[in-house]
Amino acid sequence: MLSSCIFRTLRDGLRALPVTLFSLLMLGGIVQSVHASEVNIYSHRQQFLLQPFLDAFTAETGIKTNVVYASKGLAQRLQAEGEASPADVILTVDIARLGEYADLDLLAPVSSDILNANIPAHLRATDGRWFAFSTRARIVVTSKERVADGAIKDFEDLADPQWQGRICTRQGSHVYNRALMASIIAAHGEAAATEWGKALVANLARRPQGNDRAQAKAIFEGQCDIGIMNHYYFGKMMFGDKPEQRDWANAIRLVFTNQENRGAHVNISGGGVAKHSPNRDAAVQFLEFLTQTTAQQLYGEINFEYPANPSVDPGGVLQSWGSFNRDELNIEKLSELAPSAQMIIDRIGW
Amino acid sequence: MVATFLSSWAHVRSRRADGWSIGALSLCLLLLGPVVALILKALGDSGGLWGHLLDTVLLRYISNTLVLMVGVGILACLFGVATAWVITRYEFPGRILFEWMLLLPAAIPAYIVAYTYTDFFEYAGPVQSQLRMLFGWTRPSDYWFPEIRSLGGATLVMASVLYPYIYMVTRIAFRLTPASLFEIALVHRKSQFWAVGLPLARPAITAGLALVLMEVVSDFGTVEYFAVETLTLGIFNVWLGMNNIVAAAQISLVGFVFILSLLGLELYARSRQRFASTSRATHALRPLHLDLRGQTACILVCCIPLLFGFVIPVGVLLKFVLTGGLVGNVLAIAEVLGGSVLVAGMAALLITLVSTFIVLAATYRGGAALRRMAMVASTGYAVPGTMLAIGVLIFAGSVDRSFAAVTGDGRASLLLGGVGILILAYLVRFQAVGYGAVLSGIRRLPDNMMGASRVLGNGFTSSLRRVILPLLSGSMVAGGLLVFVDVMKELPMTLLLRPFDFETLATYTYQLAKDEMLEEAALPALMIVIAGLLPVILMNRMLRRTE
Repeated sequence: MLSSCIFRTLRDGLRALPVTLFSLLMLGGIVQSVHASEVNIYSHRQQFLLQPFLDAFTAETGIKTNVVYASKGLAQRLQAEGEASPADVILTVDIARLGEYADLDLLAPVSSDILNANIPAHLRATDGRWFAFSTRARIVVTSKERVADGAIKDFEDLADPQWQGRICTRQGSHVYNRALMASIIAAHGEAAATEWGKALVANLARRPQGNDRAQAKAIFEGQCDIGIMNHYYFGKMMFGDKPEQRDWANAIRLVFTNQENRGAHVNISGGGVAKHSPNRDAAVQFLEFLTQTTAQQLYGEINFEYPANPSVDPGGVLQSWGSFNRDELNIEKLSELAPSAQMIIDRIGW
Repeated sequence: MVATFLSSWAHVRSRRADGWSIGALSLCLLLLGPVVALILKALGDSGGLWGHLLDTVLLRYISNTLVLMVGVGILACLFGVATAWVITRYEFPGRILFEWMLLLPAAIPAYIVAYTYTDFFEYAGPVQSQLRMLFGWTRPSDYWFPEIRSLGGATLVMASVLYPYIYMVTRIAFRLTPASLFEIALVHRKSQFWAVGLPLARPAITAGLALVLMEVVSDFGTVEYFAVETLTLGIFNVWLGMNNIVAAAQISLVGFVFILSLLGLELYARSRQRFASTSRATHALRPLHLDLRGQTACILVCCIPLLFGFVIPVGVLLKFVLTGGLVGNVLAIAEVLGGSVLVAGMAALLITLVSTFIVLAATYRGGAALRRMAMVASTGYAVPGTMLAIGVLIFAGSVDRSFAAVTGDGRASLLLGGVGILILAYLVRFQAVGYGAVLSGIRRLPDNMMGASRVLGNGFTSSLRRVILPLLSGSMVAGGLLVFVDVMKELPMTLLLRPFDFETLATYTYQLAKDEMLEEAALPALMIVIAGLLPVILMNRMLRRTE
């Protein structure tokens, strides 16, 4: 009964194939109507992390926001759309992604006194094509039980053979580790970075796998004693609603590395205005909003990230983990060195 | 089949090009557009990256990909062929139930199975916890347990959800084998399976296997989660890590070439064999009765794939939904479900129509060239989703620019940013599924059907409408349903190409699962499975009718 009904639909559809094709394509055009006072966002940052910012922005300004979230390929989408692109703002969570947009010439230079005042020079592009909104430190975590406090101070210490079979990490080619490798290259040069990487890989307790939280979990379970993670995962595990993750967080100690030399390696979340943005004023307004107190505090509250605006207080939880020195390397350098870092990672099999 | 091929070929050669062939040819060109765009991209300069890749990671990527293909291929064939055989050949308790339940894993995305398996088999998961309790172990060093995040784990996961592609087609092939042939095997004391069933089902098994292997080559979610370094992971390391999309496009074509050469090999091997059934089976194939031991064996054969492909993953998801108490966002999920069903339904309808049109044109109107063209046009399936999406973007970009030039409005857009580009992407990717289903349907029709109808005074289109299409309806609907389920699961292309604020169940689930919010992801993931149930059951009814 049902099948014959479906079939009849199909048969009639086949007769009208050209019309069907055309009308489906036209549907594309209909969906894309343009409203006044709105901001269209292409985001590499996950939507559930972004939503509170969007809600706050709309509440403050009355400007509506529309989002497409995807982790890969948005730059190519923007490129293919060219002048017809509806995108106003690009948001990413890694400096190398911003670098890709800049390299493809997809971002518009922005000169805004508010942005320039709120974001320190080493955390924005000199030509105003992109700005950092928050920073995240890549840190070492150690087992409270099995590694003495202070035994590891620098990322360089992970190459020490005494840690053989005791370190866990996610894959080297993940963007967080790639940026870390880039920072080691920036500090010591490619040859030394390769040696460091080889020694680190030789110390691994297991094949690189899982995400950052999985490394804390492996320490809790006793599979290894030392891990590498982004600092905010500690907050997410400790204050999230999963009791088992609280146990993982309680098993580890945070080490903000390289405090006696260049400072801890930090990466950023950031963004810029699209080159062919149809709502440029609203787009700049959105970026400015992201660098001001309300939004800057949200970064800490929602995701335990540090505000990029130095005048904004990071909030109680983050402060309780102590203040630390950051590597003040111009963040663009990490983006430039990313391809070399990936090649080293390929070579050492991390 | 070969006879059909020869007769229609001879008969078609004499024809001039007509609307049907021209239409089919243009559709094939449209389907090939994005793949060609990707190939053009790959022709660019990769900046000498291949030397580095060859020296370092490329061999590992290739060998891992090949091992995964071989492993999944063997395991999926084992699952698919064994279940198809016992379901068609033997009578045992639960057979009717198993017959459709064995299709269920097709409704679950492989990457979701990967998430649930990690939860189930990891150190803190129920299996290892029970084992530790049972044997009094306390630390990981006390015992050995296979690592699920590994090449072996990925093989198991993919084979468990992909075997239905083989099961489905092989079952039909077994059932369509004339009963008399099995009787001959019985008389000659030869194995019914090895001497008759398997050789005659080989084209069907290969067709299913081809779909499975294409899925394996293009998978990203599972290998990423399990940290298995295949070509797909290599593509992303080169593209995102080294900002080299040209080299990424080149690597993605390596996998594509794997598939094409496998298909070519099989076509060559098969070209010297002929399968033709000149008469309909005189009587239906009756399932054999078995003793208790045989029946238990049959049930086991059906239970194992079902356990791995459905019971465990759905069980874990159910556990999350029930313990999570997350009924709060049901409304949001219902809206997402609507979007999913809408695009999947539109894509399924369109692909069925396009596939049927191309198959009919290639069989009754076009020449051998059009048939080959039609086959090449369905190879989009073998390109990793995200890379195919890049091809679609480039292609749609040039279409839109021409459109803008014609209308004189620089911001005018026909495809990009709308639902249209999503539907185009699904069409390019899943054409293979619809085309395969309709093609196998038309191959089962006696070759003189069209001729007989024409002799009786029907015109070509009227013969199609009154004779061919009704006989093809089962395959058309089955193909459409399979596409529907595939689109419901599709992730990478939807993620990249979708309009503003548009989610499907797959993208919604992925965003939650990506941040380890498995409990929150469980409900939308289950919805994908539930939305797949009805099509699967319908499909089973279609298959039975075809049989």
